Amino acid sequence: MIAKSLQTGLRNGLIFGIIILFLVLIGFDITGSSLIGKVIGNSPPASSTKQLPYASNLVILISLLGIWNGAMAAKRIKGKSPSQSIAAGFFAGIFTGLITAVFALWIGTALKPGVDLRVYLIALSSDAIKFFLFQQSPSQAALIHLGLLAAGGLLGGLIIWLNRLRKSSVAFTRVNESFSNTATRWNLNVGILRNRYIRYTLYLLGFVVLIILPRIWGSYWNFVVGTVGIYIVLGLGLNIIVGYAGQLVLGYVAFFAVGAYSVALLNSTKPLNLHWGFWIALLIGIALAILAGFLVGLPTLRLRGDYLAIVTLGFGEIIRILLKSDLMTDITGGPRGVQDIAGPTIFGYKFSSDIDFFYLILGAVILAIFIASRLQNSRVGRTWLAIREDETVAKATGVNAFSSKLLALAIGAALAGLAGVIFAARNQYTGPDDHDLMVSVNVLCLVIVGGMGSIPGVILGAFVLKGLPEVLRDLENYRLLFFGMLLIIMMIIRPEGLWPATRQRLELRGGRQEPQDVLPEKLEEKGLEA
Amino acid sequence: MNTILETHQVTKYFGGLTAVDHVDLIVPENKIASIIGPNGAGKTTLFNCISGLYNPEEGEIIYTGRPINGMPTDQIARLNIARTYQNIRLFANITAVENILVGQHPHMKTTWLECLVKTPKCVKEENDAVQEACRLLDFVGLTGMGDHLALNLPYGAQRRLEIARALANRPRLLLLDEPTAGMNPQETDNMTTFIRRLRDELGITIILIEHDMRVVMGISDQITVLDYGVKIAEGDPKAIQSNPRVIEAYLGPGAAALSEKLMKRRHHDVTNN
Repeated sequence: MIAKSLQTGLRNGLIFGIIILFLVLIGFDITGSSLIGKVIGNSPPASSTKQLPYASNLVILISLLGIWNGAMAAKRIKGKSPSQSIAAGFFAGIFTGLITAVFALWIGTALKPGVDLRVYLIALSSDAIKFFLFQQSPSQAALIHLGLLAAGGLLGGLIIWLNRLRKSSVAFTRVNESFSNTATRWNLNVGILRNRYIRYTLYLLGFVVLIILPRIWGSYWNFVVGTVGIYIVLGLGLNIIVGYAGQLVLGYVAFFAVGAYSVALLNSTKPLNLHWGFWIALLIGIALAILAGFLVGLPTLRLRGDYLAIVTLGFGEIIRILLKSDLMTDITGGPRGVQDIAGPTIFGYKFSSDIDFFYLILGAVILAIFIASRLQNSRVGRTWLAIREDETVAKATGVNAFSSKLLALAIGAALAGLAGVIFAARNQYTGPDDHDLMVSVNVLCLVIVGGMGSIPGVILGAFVLKGLPEVLRDLENYRLLFFGMLLIIMMIIRPEGLWPATRQRLELRGGRQEPQDVLPEKLEEKGLEA
Repeated sequence: MNTILETHQVTKYFGGLTAVDHVDLIVPENKIASIIGPNGAGKTTLFNCISGLYNPEEGEIIYTGRPINGMPTDQIARLNIARTYQNIRLFANITAVENILVGQHPHMKTTWLECLVKTPKCVKEENDAVQEACRLLDFVGLTGMGDHLALNLPYGAQRRLEIARALANRPRLLLLDEPTAGMNPQETDNMTTFIRRLRDELGITIILIEHDMRVVMGISDQITVLDYGVKIAEGDPKAIQSNPRVIEAYLGPGAAALSEKLMKRRHHDVTNN
């Protein structure tokens, strides 16, 4: 009985203790505290020279972690026994607290003789250690840590127990709901949007807001949201290849680079001294991206799965290294890239401000959404889905898998080219470093995080992965950590993505006037003689 | 009687194994031709050769007078040859209706550009296709389940949906690979009736792989027996039942003699009584 709680508490407490030590070693205690300080308005005034947030914020952070720890431990205890889950939470808190306290004592005493721990770990400056000790003596700090984590653990266990109590009292009617069709569930939620006029009004409203917003919120946000927009276009393009057609292409940045360099080389003084204008370069960029798509696709689309991923990964790198090489310096500008790219003009009006580019990106995003949404529910989109689900069967059903995949790749490449053209024109610069592997990885991440094959999912994913790091500037140093954490958490709790794809309900809407609600069980009895 | 499909000496090797060994098969139009044989006899491999998933090393497959071996799978499907699979292979994460719509793909004409612009022609074709899909749903008894994802359907419904997807291709020749596998006797009877309806009402020629002898003997116009890739017998159900080579293939050497003895004794008993 109590042994079970002790065991669970020990295991969870140990793991959490290690996590807390790790977070401290990379200096996350400071970042997290300053975030909390900002949220609750408890930060030192901006004018003060003191960089560190108040120690009271660390108290909150440690308490929150303690509650989480206790809740995690209590969740592992099955059954409704109150003492057991609370005890597990408490023990977990005690163990984590002990680990943290011992660490605080050790690091506090190590600090005294004037040993500079920054030599070993950059985050362990003496200021940071003092902060971790709540600006107190090591023994006091150890006690505070122990107390906070133990109390937090107790509280966490209590919360879980209360939650269980509440759940068991509610009649449990939705046991099998999670197995029911996701398509149905989502569509019911947005039933109001079925009305065409309400929908169009909402579109119009959203559009007007998007037109007005960039004039209000300043150039910083225009830039950030513009970047998100470019990634939305990229994401929607890759979504057609990966999400719809199920072809894992890792060198997607190559098409982006083709677009960016097209506009760069055709609209700059160096190295080619061509001034063809933005709009022609836009068309040429897209055309070249499609051509690149064909070039990659023709030999590689016969490959499946991992092989395709590796070959396209190589292609992406080849393009980047080619752009960087000395051999091509005369044509591409080499490692220094291309500067002073001329922006677009319409009827003599020159695009120069961030607002102009925001509108340009908005147009591209709308175009990408239009293309993706029109195609996904069409004859062509269905062949992509069929290939994703089972290529062999798709072929035996009469789908020309190769040309269908090639089309997906070409459209995806075209959207990447479009994004690349706008990206280079907006930055007025592009270089090989804008087109490294991380772009492909980022785009793939946002498609997976948002929900493969889902247009709103991709948009949401772009905001989460490209927008959030901007919002949480403090987290910027931990972006990769954040990426990794987010992806792992996503895979565990929401493997289908933030906003998973849904399928349209064709039988109800198009095929039949009056829906017949036949339950599966009844149908089984009815048999085949319909 | 017209022949719809002929195989001449079709042979398929997997490394050293001869999975299908010089098989000749003649399927008359508008009949149900069954292929039976022990596990691993090469039945499904022969199906895969006909539907183009495999390319046979030797021999020729002639469909309505023209050779189709070596043709790409999707082009064979466009010749109105449809099939189902031994272990159900639906497009799991799209709805039942969409599965059937993919089945209709060869008969739809709009290009991707027309889909993008949503021309009236495209809209009309799409609506017709959905109507047709719903009709097929009714035909196989899945009314009202069209908007469920295929993977959420119960097992029996998945089998029927697979047949509906094959029918969406408006097949002249339908290859059914163990359609009653895993079904209870009631469901099996329903399926047997259904297959007969396909032949009689829709005029579809059916090649059937089946292990359930009650089904095979009940509906087949012609039965071909394979063993170790070789055709060992062919004929109507009666002839196959008493064929000693077939009995040996199923029950082991010596079984034929034994069964003959048993039959004789039974005959003897009957006449004595």
